[in-house]
Amino acid sequence: MPAAVASQWRDRQRRVFQSVFPADVAQPAAHPAQDSLPGTRGRRREHIPPQSVATQPLLHSAAAVVAGDQAAREQAWRLVTAHIALPPPAAGDVSLGSLVADSQQQHLQSCASAEFYEAFEVLVHAKALLPGAAQTDDVLSWHFRQVRAHYTRHVLPLLARCVDDGDGNGGDEGHDGRQGDDGRDDDRKDEEHMVIVTNSIRTLEAALRLYFFGLNQLLSGYARLAHVSPEIARDAESLNDRFRRDLHALVSNSAPTGLMRSIKAVVIRLAGAILGMPGPGRGEARDGPDIPDPEDSKAQAARERLLQLTQQLHNVGLTGERFQALFAEVMDVMMSKFVTGAFAGAWSPADPRPVSTAVSLSASLSAASPCIAKLSNWIENHFARLTCEVLASISANNPQGPLPVSLADVKMYQSLALGRLAALRIQELFDIALAWPDSRPALEDLRATITTPARRKQLTDGFSKALQRRLLHPGCSTLQILRTYISIIRTLHALDPTRVLLSSVERDLQMYLCQREDAIRVVVAGLLASPEEMRAEKNAREGSKRQREKAHPDRAGRSRRRGRAAADDPLTATPSKPSSRTPQGTIPETPAAKDPKNGGPSRSKHPPKLVELALLLHEPSPNRAASPAEDAVADLDWDDMNWVPDPIDAGDGYRRPRSVDVIGTIIAALGSGDTFIKEFSIVMADRLLADGNMDDGGSGAADSAAPRFDQELRVLALLKRRFGEASLQACDVMIRDIQDSRRVDGILCRERARERERGRDLGRGGAGEDDMDYHTRILSRLFWPGLDREHFLLPPEVERQQKRYEAGYESLKSRRKLTWLNQLGRARVELELRDRTVAVDCSTVEATVIRAFQGLEGDGDDPAAPPVQKSVDDLYMQLQMDEDLIAAALQFWAGHGVLRRVGGPGANTYAVVESLADEAGPGPGSAAGAAASDGDQPMDEEGKEEQQAAPEGEGAAAGLGGGGGGGGGGLSAKELERREVYWRYVQGMLTNASASMPLAQMAMMMRMLIPDGFAWSNEELQDFLAEKVAAGEMEIVGGKYRLVKK
Amino acid sequence: MSFAEGSQGTASGSLQSNNNKLGGTRKPVEPGQNAVKRLQTELMQLMTSPAPGVSAFPSADGNLLSWRATIEGPVDTPYAGLTFKLSFEFPSNYPYAPPTVLFRTPIYHPNVDFSGRICLDILKDKWTAAYNTQTVLLSLQSLLGEPNNSSPLNGEAAELWDKDPALFKTKVLDRHKDIEDD
Repeated sequence: MPAAVASQWRDRQRRVFQSVFPADVAQPAAHPAQDSLPGTRGRRREHIPPQSVATQPLLHSAAAVVAGDQAAREQAWRLVTAHIALPPPAAGDVSLGSLVADSQQQHLQSCASAEFYEAFEVLVHAKALLPGAAQTDDVLSWHFRQVRAHYTRHVLPLLARCVDDGDGNGGDEGHDGRQGDDGRDDDRKDEEHMVIVTNSIRTLEAALRLYFFGLNQLLSGYARLAHVSPEIARDAESLNDRFRRDLHALVSNSAPTGLMRSIKAVVIRLAGAILGMPGPGRGEARDGPDIPDPEDSKAQAARERLLQLTQQLHNVGLTGERFQALFAEVMDVMMSKFVTGAFAGAWSPADPRPVSTAVSLSASLSAASPCIAKLSNWIENHFARLTCEVLASISANNPQGPLPVSLADVKMYQSLALGRLAALRIQELFDIALAWPDSRPALEDLRATITTPARRKQLTDGFSKALQRRLLHPGCSTLQILRTYISIIRTLHALDPTRVLLSSVERDLQMYLCQREDAIRVVVAGLLASPEEMRAEKNAREGSKRQREKAHPDRAGRSRRRGRAAADDPLTATPSKPSSRTPQGTIPETPAAKDPKNGGPSRSKHPPKLVELALLLHEPSPNRAASPAEDAVADLDWDDMNWVPDPIDAGDGYRRPRSVDVIGTIIAALGSGDTFIKEFSIVMADRLLADGNMDDGGSGAADSAAPRFDQELRVLALLKRRFGEASLQACDVMIRDIQDSRRVDGILCRERARERERGRDLGRGGAGEDDMDYHTRILSRLFWPGLDREHFLLPPEVERQQKRYEAGYESLKSRRKLTWLNQLGRARVELELRDRTVAVDCSTVEATVIRAFQGLEGDGDDPAAPPVQKSVDDLYMQLQMDEDLIAAALQFWAGHGVLRRVGGPGANTYAVVESLADEAGPGPGSAAGAAASDGDQPMDEEGKEEQQAAPEGEGAAAGLGGGGGGGGGGLSAKELERREVYWRYVQGMLTNASASMPLAQMAMMMRMLIPDGFAWSNEELQDFLAEKVAAGEMEIVGGKYRLVKK
Repeated sequence: MSFAEGSQGTASGSLQSNNNKLGGTRKPVEPGQNAVKRLQTELMQLMTSPAPGVSAFPSADGNLLSWRATIEGPVDTPYAGLTFKLSFEFPSNYPYAPPTVLFRTPIYHPNVDFSGRICLDILKDKWTAAYNTQTVLLSLQSLLGEPNNSSPLNGEAAELWDKDPALFKTKVLDRHKDIEDD
């Protein structure tokens, strides 16, 4: 038994070997006349003769007969083989092969003679008729051997020549199509491929005709024997099949690779035409593949051509496994091409053209999204059809068999295609998010295709990478990042209402945002955007929408244009990946941002803000900012019939959200609530103070200004729901302060008006400057962030007002004291110059500075006096004001054309521009420029400059009176200020807590004690202390720091 | 640890004087917690706007309810040039109850006894939540220059203050001794 197995094994091994090296097997056939070779050499065909021979009874003849029989058989053998021997082809000519074959065939067909049939019969019945012939060989296998030899020797070189000729004309074949930028070039190459294929087919057809001629001769011999032994005739049919199959195997296994390449090129071209791919250089405007029109003549022609070609290939045996693999590859390429070509960047709503109603399989999908419906339709009606047709034509042997493409296959194709669509959309997701909400259909695609956790993972990974590459880098402004974040929140929420995707994507974004110091300010400013800004934003949005609708027809081209535009954009965040092929538009260059939304007048007037947030805040949507408590309750909603378990990829602490809650997400993303609240109160304070429309007097002003706080109150209410009532008390106090001050101010003003009235009645003639309106706001020092005092001397008349006001206030509210913050006020200034009157709303600092230019009483109307000139130093002496503030104020007035710089560009002296006519510059608008014109035209007279200032000194009524201002300061000096404060902590600690402490303990204490958190790491603190040590303020003793005793 | 909530803590101290009706119901917070927050805010204030001659800081053991403070003797007083260390122990309901303040540096003063206890009205019955560490320190600093001799803890000192300033000064210098940290 083992021996039998071993021999079987050896046999199989040999067969494998021989099938790999067919020439080896063909070798014996190279000597067609040497019939004496033992049959074992043709081992592969060994099983054929026994079938025919074994039916004959074996006759053991005498040795004498042997020689005669042998001779007779050999004679018959020679005759038959000579008859069917292949002609030696004339060397060297490609076309000759086919011609010779044709003529030979004609010739031989005519002379199939009786002689041949006799000899054939002898051979077939050799065992019976000539028992003495020891060496019997099968003529069929001999024929196959000679065919094989002939094919190898003559046909293969011919085929190679066909390919070479084509190659010679076609240039370097290796990069077929890829190099052809030019459509004509591509066409020519296609033609060359076509020529190669047709020539090869013709050559093979001729050769096969030749081979089959011999076979037919033999078969007809069998047919004649039908009356003797019918089973032989029956075998003939199967012999024919077998011969054909072997021959096809031979051809398809030995076809030169160049030929296969050409076939592939041809198939690609034809299949592309059939499936609606854009042809290279076809000059049509169509730039993306589309569902082909059934009436398209080109497609039909291509279809016929392809089917004909496959039929021909099949006939010559070139549709073996290699062709099938090749065809599968082509179809795979087609599918990818169609998906990327037809859908990349196509996020627009459904094509107005109705989708073919033939969609039956995908009925459930077609409801999902137009893209998916279109894709399914294409797969079903075109892709699968073509596959089916081609496969049917190459398996034409049994047309009654099952269709080569089953319904399940179509389903599989569709799911494959959907997978590719999903991959495409994942790649595009960042752009999709940017284009929200226009890209909603694309999201529908994604939602329908992202079905497995693996794909979700792929999506989050890909998206995170895109984020890092395109958004989270210094080239993007915080505003852009936040705006994109909003889009992302909405996009991903639309994609996945459970928010799991969002939460896994946004972590990086949040981390990055925390590093942006201005992020909170941008958000707060956006939340507090004024109604006008919101209106502008809304209009801009609608405008851009209209424009998009107008631009609808060429939308298909837009994504490509954008891709190019992005390539030029220096901000594109992909310096390291030039090869990525999806459109890499970076934020500022998205179509949405290019639309008038950004460029329009609304944006140029206002500094860009996150107005979207304010819009959201005003959107009437329930559950917008559900507080955590409400969310918790929602989790236990027992009546929710649509409840589903949490997604399996949800992380720890996952809570099912109920609404988009963009604002909530963003606020949560900005780190702790404390920092947000702090920032919010700073912005709030600025706004409340800047909102200075109180100077048009009395209670009317309070009424008109009151609505201005609506926005603030609304935002405040929102934040309270989120952070709790207590944490926002400071803001409450601030608003209340402003409202209270109005009341107090009203009372004091009425009081003063009455006094003035009385004074006039008594005929005491109130001084002119007392006519000015003077209002204050009283702030509670502890609750207002960043109230620093800026010392300077107010104009005397204002000073008097202030004193009087203070007295009035202290009589009204006993035991309380006002601390004036002079620099925070606003003033309306009217300047009466010689030829004009300038009325300006300005800050108190600016008003004070310009007041300093006012001449003394008395010399006012002297027309001959020179204009007043003052230098920064003069003003500093006079006002005791910070020099930077003075310089800024002077610039301000120069900008209004009231002052100009005199005495050269370096000088810090300014003079009043009394008359525009004397000024070299054209007008007040360009007075800043005029001011720089060296003042070579001295003013000849001084007009009267009257100033009516109405500053509202913003008082800070501090309960304890003393103590000075709080800690807040300019942002630019934030770090400096922080170092200063930390240094005080260190000093305080080493003075009081312990005279010497190690670093770790100090850091621990700081961390524990500083309310906002200690911003430094131990290393940073160490560096800082090292500086102090170097500066001689500290020393290190025994590993502990201590202050140097002075 | 928040700024805003810290302000809230401060607010409770200065409410009466500010006359700001904050309205609303404040959630009852654990008293010790409230005190800690208030103290943190006070510390921040001390650090950002320090008063000359006084400083204070929580003790090195990290207990926020226990502080150490330093007062420099005011010029033109017998204590000029001297430095005095004090300890503050805050009750858990601070600022609604005064801290316990002791001189740790031995001091010769009419209103301070030999174990460092202080007789000062604002640390006893006159305490209000509007006071804070800084105001207490400033009061003590001024007490050094203007002792309340009507209710002395140290009778001899009270007597000498008026009778013999030179001897008083000597006693002060004798008594004073820079203490080392524990």
